[in-house]
Amino acid sequence: MSEAQRTERWPSARIDAVVRLRALAAGVRNAAYAERVIAAPFDAVWAIYGDLERGVPRFEWSVRSLAITRRDGEALEIESSGPLGSSAQFRAIWRPGWCVMRDLRGIGQIGMAAAPEGEGRTRVAHFEGSRRLGALLRPFLQRRVEGDLARLAALCEVR
Amino acid sequence: MLAAQRGDVLAMSLLMDRLAPWLARICGGIALEHADDAAQETLVQVFRDLRDLREPEALRGWARRIAVRESVRHAQRAREQATRAGGDAAEVLRAPPGDLALAPDVRAVLAQLAPEQRAILVLRDLEGLSEEEAAAQLGVARGTVKSRLSRAREAFARRWPA
Repeated sequence: MSEAQRTERWPSARIDAVVRLRALAAGVRNAAYAERVIAAPFDAVWAIYGDLERGVPRFEWSVRSLAITRRDGEALEIESSGPLGSSAQFRAIWRPGWCVMRDLRGIGQIGMAAAPEGEGRTRVAHFEGSRRLGALLRPFLQRRVEGDLARLAALCEVR
Repeated sequence: MLAAQRGDVLAMSLLMDRLAPWLARICGGIALEHADDAAQETLVQVFRDLRDLREPEALRGWARRIAVRESVRHAQRAREQATRAGGDAAEVLRAPPGDLALAPDVRAVLAQLAPEQRAILVLRDLEGLSEEEAAAQLGVARGTVKSRLSRAREAFARRWPA
Protein backbone atom coordinates (compact mmCIF):
# COMPACT_ATOMS: atom_id res chain seq x y z
CA MET A 1 0.00 0.00 0.00
CA SER A 2 1.42 3.37 -1.00
CA GLU A 3 1.65 6.35 1.33
CA ALA A 4 -1.07 8.06 -0.71
CA GLN A 5 -3.40 5.08 -0.40
CA ARG A 6 -2.73 4.90 3.31
CA THR A 7 -3.54 8.59 3.66
CA GLU A 8 -6.75 8.14 1.66
CA ARG A 9 -7.82 5.37 3.99
CA TRP A 10 -7.09 7.38 7.10
CA PRO A 11 -10.21 7.28 9.28
CA SER A 12 -12.09 10.52 9.56
CA ALA A 13 -14.91 11.74 11.80
CA ARG A 14 -18.18 12.60 10.10
CA ILE A 15 -18.95 16.26 10.62
CA ASP A 16 -22.18 17.10 8.84
CA ALA A 17 -23.74 20.52 8.36
CA VAL A 18 -25.87 20.31 11.51
CA VAL A 19 -22.85 19.48 13.66
CA ARG A 20 -21.05 22.42 12.09
CA LEU A 21 -23.91 24.81 12.81
CA ARG A 22 -24.23 23.55 16.39
CA ALA A 23 -20.56 24.39 16.95
CA LEU A 24 -20.78 27.71 15.15
CA ALA A 25 -23.80 28.76 17.20
CA ALA A 26 -21.81 28.01 20.36
CA GLY A 27 -19.50 30.83 19.31
CA VAL A 28 -22.24 33.41 18.74
CA ARG A 29 -23.10 35.28 21.92
CA ASN A 30 -26.72 34.92 22.97
CA ALA A 31 -27.65 32.89 19.91
CA ALA A 32 -31.02 31.16 20.06
CA TYR A 33 -30.47 27.68 18.64
CA ALA A 34 -32.83 24.81 17.90
CA GLU A 35 -32.79 21.44 16.12
CA ARG A 36 -35.56 19.21 14.93
CA VAL A 37 -35.87 15.93 13.05
CA ILE A 38 -38.30 16.13 10.14
CA ALA A 39 -39.94 13.03 8.68
CA ALA A 40 -39.02 13.83 5.08
CA PRO A 41 -35.89 13.18 3.00
CA PHE A 42 -33.11 15.76 2.77
CA ASP A 43 -33.87 16.86 -0.81
CA ALA A 44 -37.53 17.55 0.00
CA VAL A 45 -36.64 19.47 3.16
CA TRP A 46 -33.86 21.52 1.59
CA ALA A 47 -36.13 22.35 -1.36
CA ILE A 48 -38.08 24.50 1.12
CA TYR A 49 -35.56 25.29 3.85
CA GLY A 50 -32.83 26.24 1.38
CA ASP A 51 -35.06 28.15 -1.02
CA LEU A 52 -34.40 31.63 0.30
CA GLU A 53 -36.84 33.48 -1.95
CA ARG A 54 -39.83 31.12 -2.02
CA GLY A 55 -39.32 28.80 0.95
CA VAL A 56 -37.97 30.92 3.79
CA PRO A 57 -40.86 33.46 3.93
CA ARG A 58 -43.23 30.54 4.47
CA PHE A 59 -41.78 29.57 7.84
CA GLU A 60 -39.41 32.32 9.04
CA TRP A 61 -41.19 34.63 11.49
CA SER A 62 -39.09 37.71 10.71
CA VAL A 63 -39.29 37.58 6.90
CA ARG A 64 -42.16 38.69 4.71
CA SER A 65 -40.19 38.58 1.48
CA LEU A 66 -36.61 37.93 0.49
CA ALA A 67 -34.72 38.55 -2.77
CA ILE A 68 -31.23 37.50 -3.84
CA THR A 69 -29.68 40.61 -5.40
CA ARG A 70 -26.23 39.24 -6.17
CA ARG A 71 -24.72 35.78 -6.45
CA ASP A 72 -21.03 34.97 -6.69
CA GLY A 73 -20.51 31.24 -6.20
CA GLU A 74 -21.56 30.50 -2.62
CA ALA A 75 -21.59 34.18 -1.64
CA LEU A 76 -24.95 35.91 -1.85
CA GLU A 77 -26.31 39.37 -1.20
CA ILE A 78 -29.90 39.48 -0.04
CA GLU A 79 -32.60 42.02 0.64
CA SER A 80 -35.35 41.11 3.01
CA SER A 81 -38.43 42.83 4.30
CA GLY A 82 -39.97 42.08 7.64
CA PRO A 83 -43.56 41.66 8.70
CA LEU A 84 -43.78 45.32 9.78
CA GLY A 85 -42.33 46.62 6.54
CA SER A 86 -38.76 47.10 7.76
CA SER A 87 -36.05 46.07 5.32
CA ALA A 88 -32.54 44.76 5.75
CA GLN A 89 -29.63 43.75 3.57
CA PHE A 90 -27.69 40.60 4.25
CA ARG A 91 -24.53 38.89 3.09
CA ALA A 92 -24.78 35.11 3.04
CA ILE A 93 -22.87 31.92 2.35
CA TRP A 94 -25.17 29.32 0.80
CA ARG A 95 -24.60 25.75 -0.30
CA PRO A 96 -26.81 22.64 -0.15
CA GLY A 97 -27.50 21.95 3.52
CA TRP A 98 -25.88 25.16 4.74
CA CYS A 99 -26.72 28.85 4.90
CA VAL A 100 -25.42 31.54 7.21
CA MET A 101 -26.19 35.22 6.87
CA ARG A 102 -25.34 38.49 8.57
CA ASP A 103 -26.99 41.83 8.02
CA LEU A 104 -24.81 44.62 6.70
CA ARG A 105 -25.06 46.55 9.95
CA GLY A 106 -23.54 43.51 11.67
CA ILE A 107 -26.37 43.17 14.18
CA GLY A 108 -28.56 40.28 13.08
CA GLN A 109 -27.15 36.84 12.27
CA ILE A 110 -28.96 33.75 11.07
CA GLY A 111 -27.87 30.16 10.46
CA MET A 112 -29.66 27.25 8.80
CA ALA A 113 -28.41 23.71 8.25
CA ALA A 114 -29.81 20.33 7.27
CA ALA A 115 -28.36 16.82 7.10
CA PRO A 116 -29.84 13.39 6.32
CA GLU A 117 -30.78 11.46 9.44
CA GLY A 118 -31.30 8.04 7.82
CA GLU A 119 -34.52 6.32 6.72
CA GLY A 120 -35.91 9.30 4.82
CA ARG A 121 -35.56 11.71 7.73
CA THR A 122 -33.67 14.97 8.00
CA ARG A 123 -32.20 16.82 10.97
CA VAL A 124 -32.48 20.57 10.66
CA ALA A 125 -30.81 23.25 12.77
CA HIS A 126 -31.49 26.94 13.00
CA PHE A 127 -30.08 29.82 14.98
CA GLU A 128 -30.66 33.52 15.23
CA GLY A 129 -28.60 36.01 17.12
CA SER A 130 -28.72 39.73 17.67
CA ARG A 131 -25.68 41.70 18.72
CA ARG A 132 -27.99 44.38 20.09
CA LEU A 133 -30.07 43.52 23.15
CA GLY A 134 -28.96 39.94 22.57
CA ALA A 135 -29.26 38.75 26.16
CA LEU A 136 -32.68 40.36 26.56
CA LEU A 137 -33.97 39.08 23.25
CA ARG A 138 -32.66 35.55 23.57
CA PRO A 139 -35.72 33.94 25.26
CA PHE A 140 -37.94 35.60 22.67
CA LEU A 141 -35.70 34.45 19.80
CA GLN A 142 -35.54 30.94 21.23
CA ARG A 143 -39.31 30.57 20.98
CA ARG A 144 -39.18 32.03 17.48
CA VAL A 145 -36.54 29.69 16.08
CA GLU A 146 -38.36 26.70 17.55
CA GLY A 147 -41.55 27.99 15.96
CA ASP A 148 -39.77 28.41 12.61
CA LEU A 149 -38.67 24.77 12.63
CA ALA A 150 -42.14 23.60 13.67
CA ARG A 151 -43.63 25.49 10.70
CA LEU A 152 -40.93 24.10 8.40
CA ALA A 153 -41.67 20.56 9.59
CA ALA A 154 -45.37 21.07 8.96
CA LEU A 155 -44.63 22.25 5.41
CA CYS A 156 -42.29 19.33 4.66
CA GLU A 157 -44.28 16.56 6.31
CA VAL A 158 -47.56 17.51 4.65
CA ARG A 159 -46.18 16.78 1.19
CA MET B 1 -9.71 35.30 11.91
CA LEU B 2 -10.35 38.47 13.91
CA ALA B 3 -13.83 38.77 12.42
CA ALA B 4 -14.51 35.14 13.40
CA GLN B 5 -13.33 35.92 16.92
CA ARG B 6 -15.76 38.82 17.05
CA GLY B 7 -18.57 36.39 16.27
CA ASP B 8 -19.12 37.24 12.58
CA VAL B 9 -20.91 34.15 11.25
CA LEU B 10 -19.62 34.58 7.69
CA ALA B 11 -16.01 34.58 8.88
CA MET B 12 -16.81 31.70 11.25
CA SER B 13 -18.29 29.73 8.36
CA LEU B 14 -15.09 30.13 6.32
CA LEU B 15 -13.02 29.15 9.35
CA MET B 16 -15.23 26.09 9.84
CA ASP B 17 -14.52 25.04 6.23
CA ARG B 18 -10.80 25.17 6.99
CA LEU B 19 -10.85 23.50 10.38
CA ALA B 20 -13.51 20.77 10.14
CA PRO B 21 -11.86 18.38 7.61
CA TRP B 22 -8.50 18.71 9.34
CA LEU B 23 -9.88 18.13 12.85
CA ALA B 24 -12.01 15.24 11.53
CA ARG B 25 -8.85 13.38 10.54
CA ILE B 26 -7.11 14.02 13.85
CA CYS B 27 -10.16 12.77 15.78
CA GLY B 28 -10.65 9.92 13.31
CA GLY B 29 -7.13 8.59 13.81
CA ILE B 30 -7.27 8.67 17.60
CA ALA B 31 -10.88 8.12 18.65
CA LEU B 32 -11.78 5.72 15.79
CA GLU B 33 -15.43 4.68 16.21
CA HIS B 34 -15.92 7.47 18.77
CA ALA B 35 -14.49 10.07 16.42
CA ASP B 36 -17.83 11.69 15.58
CA ASP B 37 -18.49 12.56 19.22
CA ALA B 38 -14.91 13.69 19.78
CA ALA B 39 -14.99 15.91 16.69
CA GLN B 40 -18.29 17.46 17.65
CA GLU B 41 -17.09 18.33 21.14
CA THR B 42 -13.83 19.65 19.72
CA LEU B 43 -15.62 21.99 17.32
CA VAL B 44 -18.02 23.26 19.99
CA GLN B 45 -15.09 24.04 22.30
CA VAL B 46 -13.06 25.67 19.53
CA PHE B 47 -15.86 27.97 18.38
CA ARG B 48 -17.17 28.68 21.88
CA ASP B 49 -13.73 29.70 23.16
CA LEU B 50 -12.44 31.29 19.96
CA ARG B 51 -13.13 34.80 21.21
CA ASP B 52 -10.82 34.23 24.18
CA LEU B 53 -7.86 33.12 22.08
CA ARG B 54 -5.32 35.89 22.64
CA GLU B 55 -2.96 35.01 19.77
CA PRO B 56 -4.82 34.24 16.53
CA GLU B 57 -1.68 32.70 15.03
CA ALA B 58 -1.81 30.04 17.75
CA LEU B 59 -5.16 28.80 16.40
CA ARG B 60 -3.97 25.55 14.81
CA GLY B 61 -1.89 24.42 17.79
CA TRP B 62 -4.69 25.31 20.19
CA ALA B 63 -7.38 23.54 18.13
CA ARG B 64 -5.16 20.50 17.63
CA ARG B 65 -4.58 20.27 21.38
CA ILE B 66 -8.34 20.26 22.01
CA ALA B 67 -8.93 17.62 19.31
CA VAL B 68 -6.24 15.31 20.69
CA ARG B 69 -7.46 15.73 24.27
CA GLU B 70 -11.09 15.07 23.36
CA SER B 71 -10.20 12.09 21.17
CA VAL B 72 -8.02 10.42 23.79
CA ARG B 73 -10.68 11.10 26.42
CA HIS B 74 -13.43 9.50 24.34
CA ALA B 75 -11.31 6.49 23.41
CA GLN B 76 -10.15 5.97 27.01
CA ARG B 77 -13.70 6.23 28.31
CA ALA B 78 -14.84 3.60 25.81
CA ARG B 79 -12.01 1.33 26.93
CA GLU B 80 -12.93 1.79 30.59
CA GLN B 81 -16.58 1.08 29.89
CA ALA B 82 -15.65 -2.07 27.99
CA THR B 83 -13.50 -3.20 30.91
CA ARG B 84 -16.27 -2.51 33.44
CA ALA B 85 -18.69 -4.44 31.26
CA GLY B 86 -16.57 -7.51 31.86
CA GLY B 87 -14.56 -7.61 28.66
CA ASP B 88 -10.81 -7.38 28.52
CA ALA B 89 -9.94 -3.92 27.21
CA ALA B 90 -7.09 -5.26 25.17
CA GLU B 91 -9.38 -7.72 23.46
CA VAL B 92 -12.02 -5.12 22.82
CA LEU B 93 -9.79 -2.47 21.36
CA ARG B 94 -6.96 -4.42 19.83
CA ALA B 95 -7.81 -6.64 16.93
CA PRO B 96 -5.81 -9.87 17.05
CA PRO B 97 -3.35 -10.42 14.16
CA GLY B 98 -5.65 -12.92 12.51
CA ASP B 99 -8.47 -10.42 12.25
CA LEU B 100 -6.05 -7.81 11.10
CA ALA B 101 -5.11 -9.90 8.09
CA LEU B 102 -8.77 -10.09 7.16
CA ALA B 103 -9.32 -6.39 7.53
CA PRO B 104 -6.29 -4.81 5.94
CA ASP B 105 -7.01 -1.16 6.42
CA VAL B 106 -5.56 1.65 8.39
CA ARG B 107 -8.37 1.65 10.91
CA ALA B 108 -7.69 -1.99 11.80
CA VAL B 109 -4.03 -1.27 12.43
CA LEU B 110 -4.87 1.79 14.50
CA ALA B 111 -7.34 -0.27 16.52
CA GLN B 112 -4.44 -2.42 17.72
CA LEU B 113 -2.94 0.57 19.46
CA ALA B 114 -3.85 2.25 22.71
CA PRO B 115 -5.42 5.74 22.38
CA GLU B 116 -2.23 7.34 23.71
CA GLN B 117 -0.17 5.61 21.00
CA ARG B 118 -2.58 6.72 18.33
CA ALA B 119 -2.31 10.29 19.60
CA ILE B 120 1.48 10.17 19.23
CA LEU B 121 1.21 8.69 15.75
CA VAL B 122 -1.23 11.38 14.65
CA LEU B 123 0.90 14.20 16.03
CA ARG B 124 4.18 12.92 14.63
CA ASP B 125 3.27 11.25 11.34
CA LEU B 126 0.02 12.95 10.32
CA GLU B 127 0.66 16.43 11.71
CA GLY B 128 4.45 16.42 11.38
CA LEU B 129 5.18 17.69 14.88
CA SER B 130 8.66 17.17 16.33
CA GLU B 131 9.18 14.86 19.31
CA GLU B 132 9.50 17.88 21.57
CA GLU B 133 6.31 19.44 20.24
CA ALA B 134 4.35 16.19 20.53
CA ALA B 135 5.65 15.64 24.07
CA ALA B 136 4.66 19.17 25.07
CA GLN B 137 1.24 18.82 23.50
CA LEU B 138 0.51 15.58 25.37
CA GLY B 139 2.24 16.51 28.59
CA VAL B 140 4.55 13.47 28.54
CA ALA B 141 8.32 13.00 28.46
CA ARG B 142 10.16 12.94 25.15
CA GLY B 143 11.26 9.36 25.82
CA THR B 144 7.60 8.34 26.19
CA VAL B 145 6.84 9.83 22.79
CA LYS B 146 9.73 7.91 21.30
CA SER B 147 8.76 4.53 22.73
CA ARG B 148 5.04 4.89 22.00
CA LEU B 149 5.74 6.03 18.46
CA SER B 150 8.09 3.16 17.88
CA ARG B 151 5.41 0.64 18.91
CA ALA B 152 2.83 2.40 16.76
CA ARG B 153 5.08 2.39 13.70
CA GLU B 154 5.92 -1.29 14.25
CA ALA B 155 2.23 -2.13 13.99
CA PHE B 156 2.07 -0.47 10.58
CA ALA B 157 5.34 -2.05 9.45
CA ARG B 158 4.05 -5.53 10.36
CA ARG B 159 0.98 -4.99 8.21
CA TRP B 160 2.73 -3.30 5.30
CA PRO B 161 6.38 -4.36 5.26
CA ALA B 162 8.61 -1.89 3.41
